[in-house]
Amino acid sequence: MATNKGRTSSFSRNFSAAPTSSILGLKYGPNGTIFLSSGVPDLDKILGGGFHLGSLVMIMEDTEAPHHMLLLRNFMSQGLVHNQPILYASPSTNPRAFLGTLPTTLVSKDDRSHNADAEQKDLRIAWQYKKYLGENKPHIEERDGKVEYCNEFDLRKPIEKHLIMGNRVECISLLDCSSLAGFRDSCSKFLSQLPRYDGNITSAGRIAIQSLCAPQCEYFDKDWDMLSFIRSLKSMVRSSNAVAFLTFPASLVSPSVSKRWQHLADTLLSVKAIPDEDKELANLLTGYQDMLGLLSVHKVARFNTQVPVILDATTYSIKLQKRRSLVLECLNQAPVDGSSGSSYGTSGSCSGSSKTGTLDF
Amino acid sequence: MADAICRVLRDGALEGEHATSLTINDSVDSPFGPIVFDYIFTQLSSFISSGKSQSRGIVLVAFSRSPSFTVELLKSRGIDIATTHEWLRILDCYTDPLGWKERLKERGAIKTPSTEASLIVNLCKDVRNLDGLFSLIIALGKGLVGEGKSRFSVAIDSVSEMLRHTSLSSVASLLSNARSHAQISSVFWLHHFDLHDMKTNAAFEYMSSMVANVKPLATATNVLRENSENLSLLEQNYKRGQFHASLKRRNGRVRIMCEEFSIGQSLVKFTSMSARKNETAQSLVPKVQFNLQLSDKERSDRAKVVLPFEHQETEKSVQIYDGRKSETEGKYDSSTEKLQKQEDSRRGEIIYFRDSDDEMPDSDEDPDDDLDI
Repeated sequence: MATNKGRTSSFSRNFSAAPTSSILGLKYGPNGTIFLSSGVPDLDKILGGGFHLGSLVMIMEDTEAPHHMLLLRNFMSQGLVHNQPILYASPSTNPRAFLGTLPTTLVSKDDRSHNADAEQKDLRIAWQYKKYLGENKPHIEERDGKVEYCNEFDLRKPIEKHLIMGNRVECISLLDCSSLAGFRDSCSKFLSQLPRYDGNITSAGRIAIQSLCAPQCEYFDKDWDMLSFIRSLKSMVRSSNAVAFLTFPASLVSPSVSKRWQHLADTLLSVKAIPDEDKELANLLTGYQDMLGLLSVHKVARFNTQVPVILDATTYSIKLQKRRSLVLECLNQAPVDGSSGSSYGTSGSCSGSSKTGTLDF
Repeated sequence: MADAICRVLRDGALEGEHATSLTINDSVDSPFGPIVFDYIFTQLSSFISSGKSQSRGIVLVAFSRSPSFTVELLKSRGIDIATTHEWLRILDCYTDPLGWKERLKERGAIKTPSTEASLIVNLCKDVRNLDGLFSLIIALGKGLVGEGKSRFSVAIDSVSEMLRHTSLSSVASLLSNARSHAQISSVFWLHHFDLHDMKTNAAFEYMSSMVANVKPLATATNVLRENSENLSLLEQNYKRGQFHASLKRRNGRVRIMCEEFSIGQSLVKFTSMSARKNETAQSLVPKVQFNLQLSDKERSDRAKVVLPFEHQETEKSVQIYDGRKSETEGKYDSSTEKLQKQEDSRRGEIIYFRDSDDEMPDSDEDPDDDLDI
């Protein structure tokens, strides 16, 4: 259907069968691409719709903080809510135990409360105007019983049992793979049930790999084996209806190898820890007390186009809204009080230990 | 602050969490890692023996020092060794790590004096088999605290020694198995980080929830210089040093602490450090929106830029002020006037071309009338 507002190209795609895609949890994007939700509404917005179907997403972990687990949990929960097959691999002896820590969808009575607050403010603070303009359009497209594209997740409550039972999630322990060949075969078997044709999509799947180069794995020092595995995973995923989500601690491999890993990614994000009770950072940024960490977007996948994505900002702060759902916010510099030279940042209590379910360090 | 670390080890891990783990890093510049290890070990032992900690026993895997040393150490710190068999086990990987003495004894080549059978010491004869070592540790721990929910702690004297015999990934898998074991409440180990490459050090940091670095007080850059200052610095490094610790908190933030310590009579004393400026803030955060701060260089450059201005409503001609007094230029010359360049600095230039030289500035029209506020 051709739209008159804001054409980005001279060609307009004849979209068909939009309802089926919403059942599967997919969305059509520009240039003939299809999006899969990441499970974090803010991240979908930053990336322009979500993860491209057929792409390889990599998260560079920070060894000092487990923020990549938040993204991983949301990603997997979103897949379960949309009934998409999931393959999960991690370097623990019992990966299935992790499924119990996945969050459930947020049942929000006061929907989008932060938007409502914005409207009621009669004094608009100009230097943070971006927060109040434009983004008020709700992300939720349909609400009466139909499937939402991207859910908000409540990290304090575990997911409903019936979603993780059965064979919906295939769990593999990376400790069992002495070389990655066996793991590659499992991935290829999983992806063979999701081939890509030109016709309608019947199903879409997700592969989630946690800490691929963890030191306790036997293949840890085999750099080239790991690189060739990632390359073959990328090519398998490209020809199927799936998204591969991979996290790795970048500081554990040598810098040149880490660069090669990063180049293989279609979408590359990284998370970073922030020091606690750091007065300088508290003076520099607003909302420091609520921040858990920082998320940086290094690369955004672009399929079927040569036009790159230019983001307004590449670093966002990771916060828990009301201690339960993950939000990403732009970094804003705290206003500097001219007289004293220090900022009037919030004087609240420290965030303390916010329980976000079981975290593994 | 070192006491803060001991408290975290004492409190252990919550249900479902990995065990807290501590790496103590030292190097040849400040080789006090073993002393710090002993300090933490004795603190934790006193917590355990008095029942104040989550774990009810501790298993020490001794690679670099003999078990009798540990017993002497506990005695000297005032811990009652009569009761040690209730809460301490030592896995002796120091006496005969590769089983050579055993083999020589079998052949009758050597006669060893009868080793005193101690309740608390168990001998390990093959440290290359880390699976066996791990099951020995678990067996000793369970022997201490029994089955069920009670927990014990594990201390490894020098993981660097372990790495001599086995690969990094097997040591890493032993440590991660220890951390994920339901009955282990905390693990800590000593690591000489200058003996290993970067990947190894990064791997140990990855697996620990706390990292403690023992550093020299001030790094002497040129040791060979016959400078009395440097020598006294070096002397100081033999007795004192810095203790940096970073703790990973449950909310995902990292707490960084700094202390000084001094060694006297093989006892270590921790004192708080003079405050240092923490420079991580600026490096951590990239260019933030509305960063209106100017660096000094930017400020000075801005001061040097000369802007052209035009006089309106007066008869004066267009002037470009370039710092020289009594300069009157013609209209057309001024548009191509270049600023006087100084030899030592690069200044910004503003080359001003008027749209049309015919147009006179409208003096009666206020250009701000177009704005609709």
